[in-house]
Amino acid sequence: MSSHREAPEIAKDPVADSTDVYAFVSPDRPRTVTLIANYIPLQGPAGGPNFYEFGEDVRYAIHVDTNGHSEANITYEFDFKTDLADPNTFLYNTGPITSLTSANWNRRQQYSVTRVDSKGRHSLGKGLLCPPCNIGPLSTPDYEAALAKPAVHTLSDGSRVFAGQRAEGFYVDLGSIFDLGNLRPFQNLNVFGTGLSAAPGVNATKFLNVHSIALQVPISRITVPGRPVIGVWTTASRQTVRVRSADRGADLNTGPFHQVSRLGNPLVNEVLIPLGTKDFWNTQHPVHDKQFAHYVAHPELAGLLPVLYPGVFPNLAALDKAKTARVDLEAILLTGIPSGIVPAFTNFTGPTPADMLRLNTSIPPTTSSPNILGLLGGDAAGFPNGRRVFDDVVSVELRAIAGVTFKLVESSYTVDAAAGKLTDGLTPADLGTPYLRHFPYLGVPYDGYHHPAH
Amino acid sequence: MPDLDDHDTAENRRARTADGPARRSVLRAAAGAGAAGVAATTLGGMLIPASAATRHGATARTGTPDTAHDDGASDVVLHVRDAAAGEIDVFRGTTQVRLRDRDLAARVVRASR
Repeated sequence: MSSHREAPEIAKDPVADSTDVYAFVSPDRPRTVTLIANYIPLQGPAGGPNFYEFGEDVRYAIHVDTNGHSEANITYEFDFKTDLADPNTFLYNTGPITSLTSANWNRRQQYSVTRVDSKGRHSLGKGLLCPPCNIGPLSTPDYEAALAKPAVHTLSDGSRVFAGQRAEGFYVDLGSIFDLGNLRPFQNLNVFGTGLSAAPGVNATKFLNVHSIALQVPISRITVPGRPVIGVWTTASRQTVRVRSADRGADLNTGPFHQVSRLGNPLVNEVLIPLGTKDFWNTQHPVHDKQFAHYVAHPELAGLLPVLYPGVFPNLAALDKAKTARVDLEAILLTGIPSGIVPAFTNFTGPTPADMLRLNTSIPPTTSSPNILGLLGGDAAGFPNGRRVFDDVVSVELRAIAGVTFKLVESSYTVDAAAGKLTDGLTPADLGTPYLRHFPYLGVPYDGYHHPAH
Repeated sequence: MPDLDDHDTAENRRARTADGPARRSVLRAAAGAGAAGVAATTLGGMLIPASAATRHGATARTGTPDTAHDDGASDVVLHVRDAAAGEIDVFRGTTQVRLRDRDLAARVVRASR
């Protein structure tokens, strides 16, 4: 998946597991940028009695690089607090939750938002209420209007924030990808797929939820004059020491916060970084990503595609055999695309290789027929220029790794015919619920009553 | 139990001076408010079982868990990273101080047995 359970250790710590990051100029408020960091992957909607919630002991952050040095110039920190009204019942709610202040809601969360920049730490909001999880029609009736919308808060600097459960908006055919790359539209061509016939992709995240931290910030608040391109990533950190203290009723967490999860571009840690390095990668800051650049320049998957699909990718195989560094992938994922590569487009931040989602905020949103293939589909408002909730990042990255984008830097290269058709066979039509047209853009979470199967 | 300053070494003092005022202030904060408690809390409540504490003397048991401070601000945790080198990490609240004190490390290791 984009970054769901992507590393062995963080897979055991879902509360701190970042799953997706989105950054885009808001289509309905084009003077703002929307930043979304998702956590707690693969939530079955019927998750009672302990429904999903943010970690009180986790510090969540969204970082913004404004000057191209691949370090955070602005960090938004989110700290959560859980309140349990009645510890003597096993119930999450004792009646319908009809508002964020409902007395029937037994276990709820609030949070604070702090902006850290060159001028110091600034509290932007405290006591901000999360919505409950979407339980079912009796417990959370009128979920979006009565509970989710009131949980969109305006911060002291005019930004808007939402933190709570959303429908998973990332679509991917996990079952095929991790079954030896048996991409469902093409499984008849897979070297192990003898006898299989082509079939449509299956969205493995359908009917699952996630927890989102969404921020909508005026562009002027997160850019500096003359530099419209920003780098964005999220991190989750835990305190260094935990002492299990059953006799005290709560564990002791102490020491400095230590980064345990991070995410910029989708699928980097998931697909490019090897298993033995993934959790270490999670602890590192983007500015130190030179140490991982080899995995981007020589992706293992690029070598696997010609093996899994014999005869389908002969030109990619030749690139692999020649050990050609994939400078196209380095540009897309680690530095941004310099001007002169794609006509009238750049999201270059500087030469320091760093995994950040790079957004050129001067490019207006595509409000009429946006292309889910983003820049590959001729839509410069989409991935890898930031990332919109609906962008088909799986297909874009599969095609890029298969060599489609190498021609941008080496005009003599002939792209394999199949490379431009690679996909896992899914589109937003394969979601179980639509995206929203407004902040926070990700759809209404599935409720446990109607979607109990997962 | 002795104060951290009792175990201050020339090596520690040099390190603090070299690291500048920020590190120095952190160290002093830890050594001031929690100094007596470092050994007491840690030895009494964290690193060694009660039976061992008794075996090595009642001084280790002065610390009693304080439920009013479960946020961790009053708790101090020692991690002897390298006993031979005397390298100790001290965790308190959201800070971490690294000490180099062979004598203290040796005492903690002895107490943990």
